[in-house]
Amino acid sequence: MIKIKVKCFSQVKYALGIDNLNLEFESGTSTSQLEKFIRRKANGELDGIPLRIALNQKYIPDETELQDGDEVAFIPPVQGG
Amino acid sequence: MIITPKELHDRKGEFTIVDVRSEKQINEFPMDDLETIIFNGGSIPNMKGSKVLVCQFGIVTEGMILENKLDDTFSLLGGAQAWIEFQSKNEDLSRWSRQTILPEVGMDGQKKLLNATVAIVGMGGLGCPAAQSLIAAGVGKLILIDGDIVELSNLHRQPLYGVNDLNRLKVEVAKERLEQLNNKAVIVPIDKYFNEENGMSFIQDANVIIDATDNIQARQLIDRFSKDANVPMIYGGLFRYEGQVAVLNVNGSPGYCELFPEPPSGGDSCADAGVLGMVPGILGNIQALEAVKLIIGITPNLVGKLLFYDGMNHITQTIEL
Repeated sequence: MIKIKVKCFSQVKYALGIDNLNLEFESGTSTSQLEKFIRRKANGELDGIPLRIALNQKYIPDETELQDGDEVAFIPPVQGG
Repeated sequence: MIITPKELHDRKGEFTIVDVRSEKQINEFPMDDLETIIFNGGSIPNMKGSKVLVCQFGIVTEGMILENKLDDTFSLLGGAQAWIEFQSKNEDLSRWSRQTILPEVGMDGQKKLLNATVAIVGMGGLGCPAAQSLIAAGVGKLILIDGDIVELSNLHRQPLYGVNDLNRLKVEVAKERLEQLNNKAVIVPIDKYFNEENGMSFIQDANVIIDATDNIQARQLIDRFSKDANVPMIYGGLFRYEGQVAVLNVNGSPGYCELFPEPPSGGDSCADAGVLGMVPGILGNIQALEAVKLIIGITPNLVGKLLFYDGMNHITQTIEL
């Protein structure tokens, strides 16, 4: 098992009602599997909102295998100005 | 009390001028055309008539006057640095003495700001504070682009506008207010929305573009023109208590379309999601700060990075792009 910290920003934070999540997954879990998990947890509130993924404070291609202790942030575009 | 280099120049016969600087500073930065008494420490000599105290940047002498409760004594604003600049170029930069004292800014940085042009797309929650701070910092020319009029619901977060401005064009009101802050700056109001046809002509001669719009389509368009014209873009976006800022398209660094390649199928504007006025105030000022750093060449900055600010718990985070 690996421990992952998820940081939630903007619409993700409001959809899940929380700033940070500490989760455990099977070894070999990828960032896109984690994204699917987060979207399911949001009960449709993130439908239509693309999310960029940052792994350990750095943008990455979507499909990356997570390692124990990784910090993952889901970043949506925001409209307001 | 303070006196500016120009005032001192015009009235220098009325004062005894006391130079409180070190010998090294006096030799390195001589103040020509000014007869001074050199002060070598101890208590300020008790002289009749009005005095002007001069230090290198105008900070030490302000403190001396307050501390010693000196009557009829002025501190030269901006100090010897501002005087020398005034003598050589006949340009009084002393109003910016509190920022030119910063070694990263200095007189050279101030001149870069005075010669700079910033285009601000959108004069709403982000554009108003960004414009105010840029004009106060001495940016020489602002191009304000917005076709909207002032509405009552704007006033809580757009402090350039008041109740007497309702239904007037935002850019016209903004020009009036900003000229009150600095009547030497050039303000170009453009009462049109930024679009495919007109956008390039508004930004191509700017040094920096501030993206203060409220929709993703406009951000994508600004990004494209920013890349084509090779003019950096400072992105700002808001969601409720949170904001994002990034400095994009600097010599090939990532742009908005690399930041968010896929637009959302919907999304919340400030009208939909709600916003407290202070949040765009903070984010618009961060955009202005990054613009000033970019113009002067101060690093580190937010090139290639995305900054998050959360106004609820005051957490910031930076992501590398």
